[in-house]
Amino acid sequence: MAEHRLTHFREVQTDPATNPAATVERSPDGRWYTVSGACPTCHGRTVSRVAHGVLGPGKGLWGARPSPPPLTGVLTVYCMCGFPHPARPDSSPDTGCGAFWDVPVPDPGGAQP
Amino acid sequence: MSDLQKKRLAQLGQQLQQDQLAVVRRQAEGWRNGLAGLTGLVSVVLVLKGKDSVTGMPEAWRWVCAALLAIAFGLLLFGALRSVQAANGEIGAGTWLNAEQLFGAVLDEVERTQRALATARRCTAAGLCLIVAGVFLGWVVPDTSAAGTGTAGAPSVLVTSAGGTVCGQLVLADAHGVVVREPAGKGRPAATEVTVPAGSVREVVPVASC
Ligand SMILES: [Zn+2]
Ligand SMILES: [Zn+2]
Repeated sequence: MAEHRLTHFREVQTDPATNPAATVERSPDGRWYTVSGACPTCHGRTVSRVAHGVLGPGKGLWGARPSPPPLTGVLTVYCMCGFPHPARPDSSPDTGCGAFWDVPVPDPGGAQP
Repeated sequence: MSDLQKKRLAQLGQQLQQDQLAVVRRQAEGWRNGLAGLTGLVSVVLVLKGKDSVTGMPEAWRWVCAALLAIAFGLLLFGALRSVQAANGEIGAGTWLNAEQLFGAVLDEVERTQRALATARRCTAAGLCLIVAGVFLGWVVPDTSAAGTGTAGAPSVLVTSAGGTVCGQLVLADAHGVVVREPAGKGRPAATEVTVPAGSVREVVPVASC
């Protein structure tokens, strides 16, 4: 894995063609996805979890919530490398270099390309 | 091209993920406080007015009414307890508090809280319906203590005279004599008024019934 680069904080979307490979895993009970991979800009590793919303009543018997349908398309993740990138505003909730990118979600059962 | 809004939405999603437990907890606290007040109010009203409202009803209706109110109170109490449970859940009970398991535990807790709240809401609605039904019964069921024989509420007396005894509701007592309404039964098809002349009255004794 490449060395982390302390780039200036910039909120840019990176080009999908040059993004390093990321893994998308669905939790065993199917309620959330875990995306992990390196930031295309600063090469810091970022792991983010995207859960299926559980607010509101469940549909099943006694409000039991069936496993949600699999997600298709892309997951947008942003850099949370944790390094103190210069020029990051203090008010920013970001914990990375500001980059964000789309990670395609693999077909259920299919392997990540 | 940077679709910055997409990043903001992704950030919002992460924020919601963090907040959803706090959101349902706040909801549950609102319900807990409301239901505690409501249950307290209902119990005070039942203690103060419960007996008055059912006296005078026919026996069967009185039981129906009492049962309705008791069930309603039970439902309200159960709902209040469920909302307390929802507001004070034990997140992470029985799981390892590592990140991966806790992430699932938070989702579980949100669902559990919402289920408890749903139960509380249903119990409250059902309880309130039953209370309304009970109160409505109190209005429409005839009051037998006021209805029935004409001079309702008049005391019954046993009049002993030279000619024997007469028992019935006291209608009138003056210088001419004592008028008593004998209830129907014992050979009388209907209640009849009997006048005992003043001169022959030996004794007038109040009795509970004839
Ligand atoms: Zn970085
Ligand atoms: Zn980065």
